[in-house]
Amino acid sequence: MAGIDVGGGHGGKRSLNHEIPLIPFIDFLLCLVAFLLVTAVWTQMARINANAKVPGPPRDDEPDEIKPEKELHVEMRGDRKFQLVWKEGATVVNTIDVEKKQVDVGSEGDFRYPALAEKVASEWKSSGSHRSPSDTKFDRAVLHTDNSTPFSEVIAVIDAVYTPQRDFTFGGKTEKVPAFNLTFAVN
Amino acid sequence: MSEKALSRFRQPISVPGRRLVHHIPLPFVLKKVTGGGQRSVNQEIPLIPFIDFLLCIVLFLLASFSATGELPVDKNVQLPKAENVLDMTDAPIVAVTGTQILVDGTAAGSTRTIEEANRLQRIDELFNILKNKRELWKQVNPGRAFPGIAVLQIDRRVPALVVKSVFQTAAMSGYPSISFQVGRLGKPGG
Repeated sequence: MAGIDVGGGHGGKRSLNHEIPLIPFIDFLLCLVAFLLVTAVWTQMARINANAKVPGPPRDDEPDEIKPEKELHVEMRGDRKFQLVWKEGATVVNTIDVEKKQVDVGSEGDFRYPALAEKVASEWKSSGSHRSPSDTKFDRAVLHTDNSTPFSEVIAVIDAVYTPQRDFTFGGKTEKVPAFNLTFAVN
Repeated sequence: MSEKALSRFRQPISVPGRRLVHHIPLPFVLKKVTGGGQRSVNQEIPLIPFIDFLLCIVLFLLASFSATGELPVDKNVQLPKAENVLDMTDAPIVAVTGTQILVDGTAAGSTRTIEEANRLQRIDELFNILKNKRELWKQVNPGRAFPGIAVLQIDRRVPALVVKSVFQTAAMSGYPSISFQVGRLGKPGG
């Protein structure tokens, strides 16, 4: 068993040697290992946010006229390209085509659209309306997708749309959040 | 001089071996001192490397420890992965596995009707269950604002039509802030 030997203990003095109680220490470590193994998380789960465009409850200070905000419409129905369309209400402000270039990630069939992510980020930098950390509103993106598109492809496009990030101060705490708030087009 | 003493004189270096108490002519003493002809069974267990090993395991598990817990995922559901994600939150989970729709493990309709109709539509069973959950939350938490968050746990192969139908149904039943559960993908170079 482990001990500390510092000599001494002669001439009527108390011995300075001590035995370290290793068995309780090992028991403690084994309990700790068992607890950590039981509570261990081996898969990393997360969420990606989306927002349904539903009206909120009526307010007392309801404005008479609501100015339509600029929205980024992401059209992913094409086979070869994405189309980014900035719209203000029904008015088309700008249209940009982006090549549909899929980049595989990992071995489980996941993929990304880095070209789309880059373009959305640059578009937000040049045309995004809500940039201030204290701004509680976010720029809106609307995703137009085909009915038969697999969910993994939808998530890859949403992930690309969420690439541009901005500071957001809430409750005195500032953190990085996606600059766009995405919703689905019904049609 | 006796012969024995003489022989000792001629062989000053004797054969090595046990000497102590061997001259006592009692069998049980002889057995004891010779160790009964067997090796000692006492062994020292090397505890220090064992403790080092345990400490390494503890440190590794502590480093990978997550206090936020984990949500159970059906083994038939293959979730897609994403980079720009948020941490999980406590909210009702709407799972779409194959053709089944589940809310917190309870059956809440089927996707067959949507696929057969081939158009976006409300899933009545899901709508009612979510609406009841919302009402229950309001009764349990009076005076508090309802967060309206639901987490959709959808298989990667499910078509967008089903995703949009579930999304719209959840929104109509009072959950406008919807999150899709995904696997966390490491950022390139990060």
